[in-house]
Amino acid sequence: MRRGTAAERVIPAPLVASSRQRRLLAGDRIFQGLALASAILILLIAAIFMVALFLPALPAIRRFGLGFFVTRTWDPVRQIFGALPALYGTLVTSAIGIVIAFPIGLGAALFLAEEARLGFLRGPLSFAVELLAGIPSVVIGLWAFFILTPLMRDNVDPFLRQTLGFLPLFQGTANGYGYLTAGVVLAIMVLPIMVALSRDVIRAVPRALREASLALGATKAETIWSVILPYARVGITGAVLLSLGRALGETIAVTMVIGNRPVIAASLFSSGYTLPSVLANEFTEAVGPLYQGSLFYLGLVLVLITIAVNVLARVLVWRFSGSEPASL
Amino acid sequence: MKSVLVALSAGAALLLTACGGSPTGTNPSTGGAGVPTPPAASLTGAGATFPAPFYSAAFYAYNQKFSQVTVNYQSVGSGAGIQQLTKKTVDFGASDVPMSSTELAAAGGADNVVQIATTLGTESLAYNLSGVSNGQVRLTPDTIAGIFLGKIKKWNDPALAADNSGVSLPSQAITVVHRSDGSGTTYIFTDYLSNVSADWKSGPGKGKSVNWPVGQGAKGNEAVATTIKQTPGAIGYVELAYVLQTGMTQASLKNKDGSFVIPSEAGATAAAKQFPDVTPAQFSIVNAPGKDSAPITGYSWLMVYKDEADKTKGTALVDMLYWLVTDGQQYGSNTHYAKLPSNMVNNDIVALKTVTSAGSALLSVPAPS
Repeated sequence: MRRGTAAERVIPAPLVASSRQRRLLAGDRIFQGLALASAILILLIAAIFMVALFLPALPAIRRFGLGFFVTRTWDPVRQIFGALPALYGTLVTSAIGIVIAFPIGLGAALFLAEEARLGFLRGPLSFAVELLAGIPSVVIGLWAFFILTPLMRDNVDPFLRQTLGFLPLFQGTANGYGYLTAGVVLAIMVLPIMVALSRDVIRAVPRALREASLALGATKAETIWSVILPYARVGITGAVLLSLGRALGETIAVTMVIGNRPVIAASLFSSGYTLPSVLANEFTEAVGPLYQGSLFYLGLVLVLITIAVNVLARVLVWRFSGSEPASL
Repeated sequence: MKSVLVALSAGAALLLTACGGSPTGTNPSTGGAGVPTPPAASLTGAGATFPAPFYSAAFYAYNQKFSQVTVNYQSVGSGAGIQQLTKKTVDFGASDVPMSSTELAAAGGADNVVQIATTLGTESLAYNLSGVSNGQVRLTPDTIAGIFLGKIKKWNDPALAADNSGVSLPSQAITVVHRSDGSGTTYIFTDYLSNVSADWKSGPGKGKSVNWPVGQGAKGNEAVATTIKQTPGAIGYVELAYVLQTGMTQASLKNKDGSFVIPSEAGATAAAKQFPDVTPAQFSIVNAPGKDSAPITGYSWLMVYKDEADKTKGTALVDMLYWLVTDGQQYGSNTHYAKLPSNMVNNDIVALKTVTSAGSALLSVPAPS
């Protein structure tokens, strides 16, 4: 809406339309119609999608209601289904992924955008980021399954237990499958998004700002910390939230290392479950309206979480950027 | 001279089938002894993943034998296979567990569907213990239930030591590995546990997916096998084929007669022989008596509609299935599927003979004696 008024301000309507201009106006109208139709189509697809998810979920919604979200049992034999363990696992693994990927991604992005001295590394680094982004998730999953889980079990987990074992997060036995390993896999998978988006955002910081900061006697680090990052934080927040979106929905690579167990444990070494993993594991053999309905209900929850993340993104972006509207 | 003639006749037969005509006469290269020669058809099936390697080997061999018939099998899972059969998008469905009464009702009632057992699978308990070789660990129904209920937590538990006097079991934690996806393998294993343990029966129960008291889940037989292989102290139930093909160590299992057996194809067939009255409604064959019986064994099932709308296709279907449960059984051995016992083959043939099109039976082989 606002964009339209801005366009009108820039290009005022002519007082007298020539035939050429009339043709253009007709073209505009056709374009407008097509654009509107496309917009409605997308809304329609979204609506149909939600209905198609909601209707099969109804038996489970009727039976379990909102109690679904606080029930910790997932028992197909007794037909008792609760989303809490999978919900918890999804949030925890995604959080671990972001916590690991954020500093690394931001550092790499700053290097790519700002560091001039080791410029010859930029090409290979960019290439590596693109490469990582292009690896199918099932391949990352295979790598994680065969290489990462033993590595976590034999090296990383014991180290964490020794150094940070006073925290409940790093206690208990570890066999390599669980929240932490899944979180590491997610970090690897969202890193390319984080790096690429943050790099572009940092590059978009006006040159004049950098030069002004340096001219005032600020060091490079001070410029990055006080000028570039504050300016770019909206975009960086966007990068984090987009990464989160990817992490929440990642299925196959997580399924291979999460341990697929519907429990809630404080220890990050523990096996767990995530919403997409439950769906991937159980859909083929789920029979009966309640079992299938519960899986659809989980799918609905996953969609709602993703929408919530997007809404959160908007709210954050509005708050960071004050009155100025910005889009991701 | 004779070989030239054989080659010529084989060539002529090939030419005939290539031209789309049905092979005529009594050419021995088109029909085996007792196996009917099918009409040209393209058949599709969908369902269980467990028998998929056997089916693909067998269907390939059938197509080599009768090039006029192609069989396309999609291993999409038992539930999906039954659904596709119900919607009549496939010619046959396959499932590790026969269709339930609700599923049969959705398909128009039990009288509308013919269910046959096509192969036998048996499960092993594979473990990862350094220095303990294949078959050395001896497990009883009680200790198996104890491990999977989480009551036996360490390998040197006294309950395990009682049966394993000659083996030095380490003071290592037991990591239980189970299937995370719904599967017939899990059904058969939990059916076994429910059969031998009252605690299991009243606890997790039996199903394609259950609420496991302990352990971690891996998706598919391959992932369970690999997880066990790379986790010291792990134990899990795996189809025999995966254990043999990947060279895992597996436990000797105490069967109902009290003898310890290492699961094998022969053990599966021996177990199945003990249940001559198996029907799609009463299909459980776990914990079989008999000294050679492998205790964790089950049939894999295949289902077709009793009334086939397309007579040609229906004939090709029953001819192919007749071959599958008779001559076709040999193609299971490479992939470690056990042969059906003769009583089950007879049951299958009797069932296949009830498949009709417009009222007339499609399978033209004599009824088994």
